[in-house]
Amino acid sequence: MGKGGMSLGEMKDGEEVNMAAWLMSLNTLKIQPFNLPPLGPYDVRVRMKAVGICGSDVHYLKTMRCADFVVKEPMVIGHECAGIIEEVGSEVKTLVPGDRVALEPGISCWRCNLCKEGRYNLCPEMKFFATPPVHGSLANQVVHPADLCFKLPENVSLEEGAMCEPLSVGVHACRRANIGPETNVLIMGAGPIGLVTLLAARAFGAPRIVIVDVDNYRLSVAKDLGADDIVKVSINLQDVAEEVAQIHKAMGRVDVSFDCAGFNKTMSTALSATHAGGKVCLVGMGHLEMTVPLTPAAAREVDVIGIFRYKNTWPLCLEFIRSGKIDVKPLITHRFGFSQKEVEEAFETSARGGTAIKVMFNL
Amino acid sequence: MGHNDDEIKISRDEEEENMAAWLLGIKTLKIQPYRLPSLGPQDVKVRIKALGICGSDVHHFKTMRCANFIVKKPMVIGHECAGIIEEIGSEVKSLEVGDRVALEPGISCRRCNLCKNGSYNLCPEMKFFGSPPTNGSLAHKVVHPANLCFKLPENVSLEEGAMCEPLSVGVHACRRATVGPETNVLIMGSGPIGLVTLLAARAFGAPRIVIVDVDGHRLSIAENLGADATVQVSTLEEDAVAEVVKIQNAMGSGIDVSFDCVGFNKTMSTALAATRSGGKVCLIGLAKSEMTVPLTPAAAREVDVIGIFRYRNTWPLCLEFLRTGKIDVKPLITHRFGFSQKEVEDAFETSAQGGNAIKVMFNL
Repeated sequence: MGKGGMSLGEMKDGEEVNMAAWLMSLNTLKIQPFNLPPLGPYDVRVRMKAVGICGSDVHYLKTMRCADFVVKEPMVIGHECAGIIEEVGSEVKTLVPGDRVALEPGISCWRCNLCKEGRYNLCPEMKFFATPPVHGSLANQVVHPADLCFKLPENVSLEEGAMCEPLSVGVHACRRANIGPETNVLIMGAGPIGLVTLLAARAFGAPRIVIVDVDNYRLSVAKDLGADDIVKVSINLQDVAEEVAQIHKAMGRVDVSFDCAGFNKTMSTALSATHAGGKVCLVGMGHLEMTVPLTPAAAREVDVIGIFRYKNTWPLCLEFIRSGKIDVKPLITHRFGFSQKEVEEAFETSARGGTAIKVMFNL
Repeated sequence: MGHNDDEIKISRDEEEENMAAWLLGIKTLKIQPYRLPSLGPQDVKVRIKALGICGSDVHHFKTMRCANFIVKKPMVIGHECAGIIEEIGSEVKSLEVGDRVALEPGISCRRCNLCKNGSYNLCPEMKFFGSPPTNGSLAHKVVHPANLCFKLPENVSLEEGAMCEPLSVGVHACRRATVGPETNVLIMGSGPIGLVTLLAARAFGAPRIVIVDVDGHRLSIAENLGADATVQVSTLEEDAVAEVVKIQNAMGSGIDVSFDCVGFNKTMSTALAATRSGGKVCLIGLAKSEMTVPLTPAAAREVDVIGIFRYRNTWPLCLEFLRTGKIDVKPLITHRFGFSQKEVEDAFETSAQGGNAIKVMFNL
């Protein structure tokens, strides 16, 4: 195992042994060999160069599950990634070895009604990097369908390529909520998802964006990223009415709210704060069952829009980054190399939250 | 106040005294004089002939409130109505004396952004018949803007005209949920609102409609009205999981749109669980203010929750559905009463009892 920065895989009998970070059991990650499947005609083999850690990766590490997905056997972790093409399958015409690409993690079936209607993110047969039982991509190399690998523009780095994955969540949410030049946007939560939603909403033309959080530091990051105003809130349900008043003072009319935290309080606040006829997007997956004032919101035709991952977002993300309309670089706060010790530290750092927004591996 | 119709033609200064059913206190309705405002240039005076009782009227009757609307002073009750034009304002060109019309109850401000963007049902300055403090229309006569009075086609009766109001809720819901020839529909609740939603969904082309209720009799009405399948459910939360399976089996294929016409935790939770990924759940019934529901699993399948509040721009479509026979609302009218003190009291009792009573209609 290498110690930092660029780490090559181990060698065995003159051939590289592909290594990956495996989630073995609760709080136990181990770098071990990872046998790649053979390269299909429509596949490419990609050498991973940049992999970000997601809240869901941390959740799997700490609990071996995430909602209904349970880790029953060792699984390679990680899914927010970009790398360099090493080999292309026989039918691949759009990519060549050496191309720098960002990877869309999920392989859907392409045959069911949801896929054929374009809502492939909801495919029941979805095989998604690091969602059990599918292996992830925190590895030296992976094999992946070519159509899910997107060539990076010249001026977009591999780290920015890896950031396309979390950014895609914000982009998909802005699409579903119809963000545009007339939609004032409220964002609950200034963590990584709240922040990419902020960036996406700005890129979609939102005229005014207010973001709320319990944490001052995260609010200052949001301000630096262009939030028009910030409101500090508490975790106490009894403060909702007062906080809604503060939000209205900061915004005026709230057309769309994104709950990027997903708790009773954040959802209740969003539902109360949003204008009649507006939308609340539930992006964060804090609680499974929520106790919220749904009826008063429904009686004002405030709709609740669900967001699950993304679909058809990579081209738009790459264009936003290429043109500079979105700058994701400030979100990358910590960097680690691909070694046993660094993998453990990286996850510790990400799990702590606080000043750690996006923790990035450089391989 | 008298018991028969002759009583109401009291002459006073050679003009008939207008009488109305006033809500004076909890469970206290009294027929008393109701002085009409003067007729504006864009208004019409309508002699009310048919008026239906709504669950919200009953709620006001029993509790003197409905959600955030509180009855603070005596108020005329009723809003689902149709009648005959008696007088028209100086600028009214589209209606004539003698025209039979159905009335859309709510007068919005027409100036705010919501009104100007077409969502006038959400206008904060809405003045709605029978929503305090605005007097309702269970009266001999009312004065109303001409543009909210819709002429009935020849073959549509005054009672059917009055039914346009509840039917509008179903129509508005089907529009917001984009019900069409490919949307399988689930309806929670087979009361008046569930039933008008059933009729509307069919008219919008829904290929398959399953309706659910705790009451066997109401389910049989739904069946007679054209539901493809019915499922009887319980009020117990622990039965929800098994019921979702039964409902999905009754539908056969994915449920695209669910209408919760009741609005309890259980009905909402059932609807959220039963609806297919990418589908919609419309919350129409406004039973509970705060709900505890599995919102996140639904959001994680992009099942959206669409709120429904009254309706907008629905009368022309309702009347067309009735005119062509695409919708027949007549079976929903189960009880009829005249306009006298005793009958008004009996009518509200009957409506409040629920059960066999679907729509209780006054004939004036």
